[in-house]
Amino acid sequence: MTDTVLEVRNLRKEFRGVVALDDISFELRRHEVVGLIGENGAGKSTLLKVLSGIYKPDGGEILREGKKVTFRTAAESAAAGIGMVHQEQSLVTSISVAENIFLGVEGAGVSAGVYRWGTLRTLAQEQLDKIGSPISPKTKVEHLSFAERQMVELAKALSVEERADSEPVIVLDEPTSVLEGDELEVLFDQIDRLRKFASIVFVSHRLDEVLRVSDRVYVFKDGQCVAVRDRSEVDVDELHRLMVGRESTAEFYHEAKQTAVVDQPVLMQVTGLGKTKAFEDVNFTLRAGEVVGITGVLGSGREELSRVLFGAEGFDQGSITLGGKSIGLRSPVEAVRAGIGYIPAERRIEGIAQGLSVQENIFLADPSTVSAGPFLKPRAAAAAADEWIRKLKIKTPNRGTNISNLSGGNQQKAVLAKWLTSPRLKVLILDHPTRGLDVGAKEDVYGFIRELCARGIGVILLADTLEETIALSHTILVMRDGRVQQTFDAHPGNKPRPVDLVEGMV
Amino acid sequence: MSQSGPQVADAPATGTPSRTSGPTPPDPTTPGTLARVRGLIGGGGPAVALVVLIAFFSIATPNFFSVSNASSLLSQLSILLVISIGLTFVILLGSLDLSVEGVMASSSLVFVLLASNDRNDLSLGFIALIAGVLTGSLFGLLNGVLHVYLRVPSFMVTLGTGAIGVGLATVLFGGRAPRLMDDGLRGLGFGNFGIFPKLALIAILVLVVALLVQKFTRVGRYGYAIGGDEPVVRLSGVNVERYKVLSFVLAGTGSGIAGVMAAMQLGVGDVSIGAGFQFTAITAVVLGGTALVGGIGGVGKTLVGAAIITVLANGLILLGVNPYVQISVQGLVIVVAVVATGWSLRKRVRAIK
Amino acid sequence: MAILTPTRPRQAAASGVTVKDRIIAVFPLLVLIVLVLLVLTQQPNFLSLASVRGLLESMAPILLLAIGQTFVILTGGIDLSFAVVSSLSTVLLALWLPDMGVGALILVPILACLTGVLTGTVVAFAQIPSFIVSLGAMGLWTGVALTLSSASTIRISANYDVIGWVTDMRIAGLPVSALLAILLAILISVAIRVLNRGRALHTMGLAENALLMSGNPTRAYRILAFALCGLFSGLAGVVLASSQYSGGPSLGDTLMLPAIAAVVIGGNAITGGVGGPLKTLVGALIIVVLRVGLNAIGIDPAYEQIIYGAVIIGAVVLTIDRSRLGIVK
Repeated sequence: MTDTVLEVRNLRKEFRGVVALDDISFELRRHEVVGLIGENGAGKSTLLKVLSGIYKPDGGEILREGKKVTFRTAAESAAAGIGMVHQEQSLVTSISVAENIFLGVEGAGVSAGVYRWGTLRTLAQEQLDKIGSPISPKTKVEHLSFAERQMVELAKALSVEERADSEPVIVLDEPTSVLEGDELEVLFDQIDRLRKFASIVFVSHRLDEVLRVSDRVYVFKDGQCVAVRDRSEVDVDELHRLMVGRESTAEFYHEAKQTAVVDQPVLMQVTGLGKTKAFEDVNFTLRAGEVVGITGVLGSGREELSRVLFGAEGFDQGSITLGGKSIGLRSPVEAVRAGIGYIPAERRIEGIAQGLSVQENIFLADPSTVSAGPFLKPRAAAAAADEWIRKLKIKTPNRGTNISNLSGGNQQKAVLAKWLTSPRLKVLILDHPTRGLDVGAKEDVYGFIRELCARGIGVILLADTLEETIALSHTILVMRDGRVQQTFDAHPGNKPRPVDLVEGMV
Repeated sequence: MSQSGPQVADAPATGTPSRTSGPTPPDPTTPGTLARVRGLIGGGGPAVALVVLIAFFSIATPNFFSVSNASSLLSQLSILLVISIGLTFVILLGSLDLSVEGVMASSSLVFVLLASNDRNDLSLGFIALIAGVLTGSLFGLLNGVLHVYLRVPSFMVTLGTGAIGVGLATVLFGGRAPRLMDDGLRGLGFGNFGIFPKLALIAILVLVVALLVQKFTRVGRYGYAIGGDEPVVRLSGVNVERYKVLSFVLAGTGSGIAGVMAAMQLGVGDVSIGAGFQFTAITAVVLGGTALVGGIGGVGKTLVGAAIITVLANGLILLGVNPYVQISVQGLVIVVAVVATGWSLRKRVRAIK
Repeated sequence: MAILTPTRPRQAAASGVTVKDRIIAVFPLLVLIVLVLLVLTQQPNFLSLASVRGLLESMAPILLLAIGQTFVILTGGIDLSFAVVSSLSTVLLALWLPDMGVGALILVPILACLTGVLTGTVVAFAQIPSFIVSLGAMGLWTGVALTLSSASTIRISANYDVIGWVTDMRIAGLPVSALLAILLAILISVAIRVLNRGRALHTMGLAENALLMSGNPTRAYRILAFALCGLFSGLAGVVLASSQYSGGPSLGDTLMLPAIAAVVIGGNAITGGVGGPLKTLVGALIIVVLRVGLNAIGIDPAYEQIIYGAVIIGAVVLTIDRSRLGIVK
């Protein structure tokens, strides 16, 4: 028996040319809890998905108990004793707890093709007893709260213990995000119990929790593992510094181009805005040429806020005015008519229209500049499309190319062009505009944001990283649990530090 | 994909010091018989509606609440119930089977033409009956394979295979309806057993088997899971394709049995023997409480839905209401039921084709 | 559940048009030509004026229904009630023509259009799959047609002339009904090309979310598609009533399968976004030539249904864009 239960060597994974995992090596020792931290897009989830057989790696190898293994399916990974508690829950709500725990691996619960309900429920009860959960195995999952489901999820992951020949590896992907108080304590107790016979990978963005339970911490950044630290030699501040990493390179963010916003007219005024179960009492103003950055962890309400500001979701309190006029924002149609644009995080679904050409995508929001009444002016449209392709340096064979065939960065530029071409545009909401882009494309996007400001367009920015937020914004709102906790002035020369923002976020 | 063997029971005890493997405490909420029945047929709305309808027609029309009408109600219910039960397995997946009428036509003709009949000299007895039912199963298999492995939406596949079923029946039909001459075979489904129509006995048998399949087999249980959340089930290593195909086979078998039952009842095989059943059966399933989105419902609920439709049809005719209006009402019922179950899921940004 | 259903990128050549796309684009036309040649070997006078006239006459209602369905299929949906709406239209025409004359000819297609608006509105606002809503609508309008007609055929007792010209009139010896239907197909194709939002329905089928998040009224587009489908079903009803001198509660029902078959075999993908009325025209021609051709080579018409069924499944299997289907239900 080796003392390394799971090892990953030189793992590599690309998505359409974007490197998600770059030569990752990682080691999990027997009865050890390893923490895994990194910002969004650092590669944590990609690694977990490779380990659980959802993604196939493009290079490198995985060793389980010293033996090389390949997981073609999630079932194979489970059979090798790797139990996963997914961040996005993986329970079927329409069936019972017992069926969920043993879905596809009923074992003695089904013999000769016939369900033995008594046995199945007893086996499920054993799993639930491990975590001391009072949930009945007969309950349908749809009747459980989110926290209860998380516990069932944990029980399901623990069931690999009996199935595999070797000691189990339990992977917990952001398990604490929906747990509170006592439930959290139960989870930590479980981790302490598990570590006597299992090895654990613990992924979380709550750095204090990671430090509390982990023996060692791996820090991921931009698809690479940038540091490994023992618990004894590191603190929260250092972890955060490692995670954010890059020394603030003013040049990278085009900071020199940032203009101060003084006495510019107010474009958008948000007053007492609230949406049930998402956020409440949000107030801010957006001036011409200003970037308002909004930060917060998952569940802080900032995603919902950005979608409400584009009319993609409704709000039930407060008001939004644009150019002095109150707007109802009952749909994206009204938002666009009022002069609001939106670059969504889900670029491939909500941003680009897959199957349409680059040119058609550019004029998807507002073809008025290349139309005569309801008719398209083909030559004007072609010329204008070529002009945008040149101006934004969109790499495409030609304007008629199916946009699906472009790289992520070039797709994002086309989405940007879609809004820039509209003469009505006053406010642009950017929801994770650089997600999944390579460094060069990111830098281009930063440049375009500066130019938008110079044109007097107001920008609302939900950035991927704190650095991005700080470098690009004039004003920063820090959200937590649906409320704006703090507001920072972030004009050039007066930038807050990431640590200042983190205090308000967690 | 591997259905990992039964290792759970005798797994190596990997040092679990704190595990308290004591006996499971008895479930404090052991349901009584009434609660069980309620769980099976879904209690609440549909069952109450059925009782109210029966009460209403008993008062409103003199003939409704009588032995002879009850007997005729049961025999009307039987064929519809068998089709609807089969359909339930497919609708639980979130899929649909539109081939009912074509399959019934084919299976009724295969049955009659292989049994003693006035068209040819064949007289295969029970083999004819089995062949008729298997015709339905084969159509189900075809539906399932085309839908699952070629990834074509089920309503489209079954629209096509339904036409093929009608076409096959038309070819077999050859211009005149063949009569079933085997009195023994016909007697299985024709006439009464005591006061019970024999068709109803067949339907009850099918119902019991279907309830057992739903509760105790993988195809039954996984149907709920696949309809509820297919990607998760797939991720768990379940051979989703196999169980989806099997569900379609169950539906086809139901239509096949129904075609044979109708042939027994009428004494002929006919292209239009299933006419009108497609629609009524979907309505029965939906009305019972099985959601077209999948994952919710069951065979027991379908019993209530089919009973409501049958009582309504029978009662309205006794009241003298134009029977065609009922088709319209069924159409509205389908839409209203689906809208009601889906209303809370609506979002501004949601693409449903 | 983004992690569980990774959206697969569309694998395509750099030009954006795959070899498969090209084959699918040309295939229906090839099928049509081969079919015509095959029939010619059996029936040398197949392309004579009389024969072509008969062919086009039987094609007119199928083509109208199929063009209507094309709008809905472009958005990625389907309207199963369209043939029933055409039946209902014939009943209404037969009932109203004697008293209302030209009024009936105007009113009936408008009402047919409104049935589409109703279906589309339920689909768009309740966010329910269109095949279910239109299945319900199919039942609703079947019942209405049966009730209004007392389940029997109604002869048009007066004012037949108002719609008679649709069947009787000839231009260059060819039936005006089919020529008008073909003209409509061409006009719509032109509109799709020259209007700045001409490809809105295509985009609905390809990327509805992106279209909405660019500020387009996607609900209105969806309702429009169903409304057009209803309107064309009403027009098909006019042609049917004219050629049969009557209205009947199931007069158009048998055209449901051939019309859907025409749409899909013409190369319109039922996943939406790919196709247009000209493809549908080719599809409708294939279907009617096939029908005539089967007769010519002596195949029993009883096999017709089997062939429609097989054609629908086969064409859908070939044209469906599986990369855009998440879970197939």
